[in-house]
Amino acid sequence: MRSDGGQLYTIEGFAAALIMISTAYLVVNATSVYTAGDTHINDMQLETLGTDALTVMGTPMNTTEYDTANSTLRMILEAPDRDVMFRTKFLELVNSSGTGPKQDIQFVANYTCRIDNSDSTIPPLQPLSSSSRSLTGGEHPVRVTKWVIVNTPCGNETTRDRAVLVEVLLWRD
Amino acid sequence: MARLNDDAQWIVLMGFLVSFSFFFLALVINQATVVGQTTAESVIEFPKNDIRDVRSIIIRTESDTIQKDVYAISLGRKNAVVYYTFPFTPCYGKYSCTQIHFKSGVTEYDENWTSP
Repeated sequence: MRSDGGQLYTIEGFAAALIMISTAYLVVNATSVYTAGDTHINDMQLETLGTDALTVMGTPMNTTEYDTANSTLRMILEAPDRDVMFRTKFLELVNSSGTGPKQDIQFVANYTCRIDNSDSTIPPLQPLSSSSRSLTGGEHPVRVTKWVIVNTPCGNETTRDRAVLVEVLLWRD
Repeated sequence: MARLNDDAQWIVLMGFLVSFSFFFLALVINQATVVGQTTAESVIEFPKNDIRDVRSIIIRTESDTIQKDVYAISLGRKNAVVYYTFPFTPCYGKYSCTQIHFKSGVTEYDENWTSP
């Protein structure tokens, strides 16, 4: 018959090994700069950056005439070449950090306007602009939005003052 | 029948205590790893910018077509119910008032706005 005298020592050995492994795991995890819980901070920074850029574009130069003065975003939406104008202005705001190196932010922008006499249907997305890269599905984009009052037609509709929602998906490449 | 040996009851009891305390420690450590993530997520979820943005449109424009734009696009693209009374009603003598309601399913915001 085999001797079973060392069972307690074996269990103690297992317990000690587990404690040492979990301690090593915690220590290594705590000292790494980028922990698992930090991944959403990037999204927050990107969202704040995009919101700030759209707010800058949506603010008129002269804020004492807030109701009547045109903001950059309104002028872009009413212009025929809004694709190029939006890309230039938006990338100028989000993609450069002073005189330093360019960041690597890419975006796709759309806007939504309501077709008249259709209160119940979901308004369709109208393409506005995008950076050189298109969205492939592997990215991890955040969405920022901005309301603008514009005086444009929507599709085949007549020109009138309307509220449109500009939506920008942006991600780091 | 063999006589039961009950000499080591204290050791078994202490073993139980230690294992339970390990269990609770593991529970605490398990929660600690997701604390940063849930905090960041709840900050992202809170629609501060959405409310400020739609509010600035509402108080700057007095038009029933723009009111319909705000209803339809908020519901269609932002998953938010936005409602405000229009035309603005006269109140306090020389001002006009409106009630702004915003609900995104998680966050609800109501305001009685008085024109300056």
